[in-house]
Amino acid sequence: MNYKLNKFSEKSFGSIFFSKLSKLNLFIIMSVILLGFVGVVSLYSAAGGHWDPWAKNHLIRLILGIFLMLILAFLPHDIFFKLSVMSFVIGMLSLILVKFIGTGDVQRWITLGGFNFQPSEVMKLALILILGRYFDHISRIELDKLKTYILPLILIILPGFLVISQPDLGTGLTIILLGLAILFFVGISMKFVITCFILLASSVPFIWNQLYDYQKDRILVFLNPEIDSLGSGYQIIQSKIAIGSGGFFGKGYLLGSQSRLNYLPEKHTDFIFTLISEELGFLGSIFIILIFCVLIISIMKISFRVKSLFSKIVTFGIGFLLFLYLSLNIGMVCGLLPVVGAPLPLISYGGTSMLTVLIGLGIVSSINIHDKEIL
Amino acid sequence: MKNKSQKNLEKTISKRFFLLSIFKGVVVGSIGWRFFDLQMIENRKYEKLSDNNQFNFHMIPPERGRILDRKMRLLAGNMDGFSLVLKWNKNVNVDDVIKRILTIVNINQKDLNNFYEEIKSNKKSFAEEILITKKLSQKDVSKLAVRSIEFPEVSFLMTKKRVYPQGIIAGHITGYVGPYSEKDSDIKIKPNTAWLEVGKTGLEQFFDKDLRGKFGRKRNEVTSKGHIIASQIYENTIAGNDIQTSLDMGLQAFAIERFERGNNTLISLKNDNIKKQIKKTKNINFDGTDYLYKDKKNRIVNPQSGSLIVMDIENGEILCSVSSPGYDPNIFSNDLDINAWNNLKNNSRSPLLNRSMSGVYPPGSTIKMAVALAALEHGIIDYNTKFYCNGLKEIGSSSFHCWAKDGHGKLNLMEAIEQSCDVYFYELGLKIGIDKIALMMKKLGLGQSYDVEINSKSKGVVPNIKWKLKRDGLQWSMGETLNASIGQGYLLTTPLQLTTMVSRIANGNFSITPTLIMNKNQNRFDLLKINSQHLDFVKKSMEKVVTGINGTARKYKIGSKKIEMAGKTGTVQVVRISEAEREKGLIKNEDRPWKKRDHALFVGYAPASKPKYAITVVVEHGGSGSSVAAPIARDIFKYIFKV
Repeated sequence: MNYKLNKFSEKSFGSIFFSKLSKLNLFIIMSVILLGFVGVVSLYSAAGGHWDPWAKNHLIRLILGIFLMLILAFLPHDIFFKLSVMSFVIGMLSLILVKFIGTGDVQRWITLGGFNFQPSEVMKLALILILGRYFDHISRIELDKLKTYILPLILIILPGFLVISQPDLGTGLTIILLGLAILFFVGISMKFVITCFILLASSVPFIWNQLYDYQKDRILVFLNPEIDSLGSGYQIIQSKIAIGSGGFFGKGYLLGSQSRLNYLPEKHTDFIFTLISEELGFLGSIFIILIFCVLIISIMKISFRVKSLFSKIVTFGIGFLLFLYLSLNIGMVCGLLPVVGAPLPLISYGGTSMLTVLIGLGIVSSINIHDKEIL
Repeated sequence: MKNKSQKNLEKTISKRFFLLSIFKGVVVGSIGWRFFDLQMIENRKYEKLSDNNQFNFHMIPPERGRILDRKMRLLAGNMDGFSLVLKWNKNVNVDDVIKRILTIVNINQKDLNNFYEEIKSNKKSFAEEILITKKLSQKDVSKLAVRSIEFPEVSFLMTKKRVYPQGIIAGHITGYVGPYSEKDSDIKIKPNTAWLEVGKTGLEQFFDKDLRGKFGRKRNEVTSKGHIIASQIYENTIAGNDIQTSLDMGLQAFAIERFERGNNTLISLKNDNIKKQIKKTKNINFDGTDYLYKDKKNRIVNPQSGSLIVMDIENGEILCSVSSPGYDPNIFSNDLDINAWNNLKNNSRSPLLNRSMSGVYPPGSTIKMAVALAALEHGIIDYNTKFYCNGLKEIGSSSFHCWAKDGHGKLNLMEAIEQSCDVYFYELGLKIGIDKIALMMKKLGLGQSYDVEINSKSKGVVPNIKWKLKRDGLQWSMGETLNASIGQGYLLTTPLQLTTMVSRIANGNFSITPTLIMNKNQNRFDLLKINSQHLDFVKKSMEKVVTGINGTARKYKIGSKKIEMAGKTGTVQVVRISEAEREKGLIKNEDRPWKKRDHALFVGYAPASKPKYAITVVVEHGGSGSSVAAPIARDIFKYIFKV
């Protein structure tokens, strides 16, 4: 051990850098670049074949984001362990803050030095980190006891409901689902899971009453889009038309009539995947879903491999977060899920979700590089 | 201990990891399936929906084919016209735009109604060009064009307008076109039917498919906001075919003028005295004309109404078909104002009725050739069989009169035709029986409709025993046979049928059928199958009508050495004359109210020696066939043969 440490300390900065570089997971890097590139290309099409207003910004953000990701990847991963509590506290504070000083029709954003910043997105990562730290510290025997899970449940539900009340049902549900998945992952008893499920199901009427009218509308319209084909159902119907009319090969890049003629709502953000499906067809859609799968599987492989519980939980959490992003967004655009407002990371226009995902992947990469060295 | 729990934990986590991976797989799999379903299985459906979003389709009307006469003179053609179109989308305030347009130009109510209907039926709620009116005058266009900035929502389109250069002269034959409506059932054209004009009557209706041509298609690419961003013609129009009719417009024009004049004299309306006189006269329609007629008693009268047909007896081509009063089909292409339409519709003389094809009249004495032929063909009489006419034939308690009050004395068949003796034909009728007479009439073309190129045509009535039993459930009576024998009673014919009858007699060999189209029949007719000697005899008799010293039309010989006409007059009683009236002495025709006057008929052919054209003249309530109808026929033949 000593020997190893000595040898390690003797190494020059350069050799450390290159040894870290060689440990980078190339699948992750390549997938990120590919998906970001798809995003740029799609946003170019969404603007009718122009770099402005979205594609250029997206490209700049992507490059900066990837740099940030690489920097995080080279940081030793115990930094995240140490920062976890602080990040959660900051996240909670900003979620409370956004209630008071939030901008936008619905209070989701905080404007910080010209940047619109969405605390709920960052909260997802903070939640993963703090849950990782909590379970890592808990005596392993206590993991079997139910009371161990009380604090984590509070940690999940508190931010979750804060976000839902913004109101942002999509992100709020993502946070709760993410947290629950982590609890399930670390081995909460099946009995408890089933009880929770029943409780949740029985609280549906109560939650229904708490929903805003537009949220209720969305769910009702999801169940039957035709009830309001020109109102709230319009988005789902038009999105399905766009996807369906794409066929196997699609209508061709820049040739999607639904998006070009503005039948597609939010074609540059939440419905960007619809545009891709319309123009690139079944082939393109499946290809992009497959890239996401490669990314998620790579993360899961790391999670499976790493030794420390913190690393395991954090990598799993980030992988699951990506999965949630993917399935919520694509499930929504193809009419499998209600329109809840969930971006498609790296492709949708919007800085916060990209930042969240890239920071997350930075953390995963850091864990991948450093996990076996310390802890 | 610690090691063991560590192992347990790892085991649990692996298990959960595995379970969650399955969950993820299922979710991603179902998303994949969803895309497969949408994009591969239901692709067609969504493609259609997407196209419906992207495009809206327009029909481009083709240029309608022309209608020509036998010398290629234009009966119906197309003129450049202007249409006003609303570039409709969800954001256009239709009522406001129309209101503002109406302050500048007039748009007729019918067009506006159609327009609003189109707006209502536009369920798509996507943008479309909707026709406001097709009948914009050059003046209106310039008025609107000056202020076009105020009307970004409307645009002009060059369109074709149907025009009938011959106007009223051939109105019944050409018919007219009008906007498509659901009633025109055999045509199935869906979108933008406002652009579609279909023939409503006459040749325009009969040949609608040929004349119409094929619609082109245009599609506009429309954004969700309703802006048209591109327009593409993807199916060119194919112009309609021309139709060449057998009509001779020179003859037609002459015939109308001559027919309407009758025996009256033309007077100009410009004379002030006349104007005063007109004001006192009721029931005279002088709107839009600058001349009128005066009868022998100096009364202002309407133009004669009725029908005149000239037909080629070799190929059945109709050279001239007059139905008076007529109408000008151009009024349907222009702003048809409600008043003009009501005038046409409610006019007591029904100008919209094509009397030549669908007007039915008792044929009167013009039928006598058919009765004579029936008798000869069945061997009931020979050429020399004589009957005695004392002016009256009594059957039971009722008496049947001859038109000659004191009778014709003893006479044979040829003399009976020449002098149109009614009693002779009463005797013939009694001998032959109605069924055999009916058979001959049908053979000669009565009681049936031909495939002449006008949709509305009447079959007329050729009664027989069965017919009456079926209609009334009553036995046929002897008296009815007598009536039928002189072309009265149940018997009803159209002028076209009478012309056909004369053509068949004059032709002698073939069952001529009429047509309005050039070179259509190509002389392919069935054989007539009537003994030609009998026919020659009847024809000789018809010559006698004109040339004989006692002929009913003897006053109206053509008088040319080369060309003479042959024919038969007919005077049809419209009101029953009671015995009491007969005793008092009949009121002269011209002293009765118009509606109660006799119909004057003449059927004939010329040249008598080598028949070429058949003619029928029916002057409604015109008086006697010999004095009113015959001179018209003579003048027509004079015109045709230039003598």
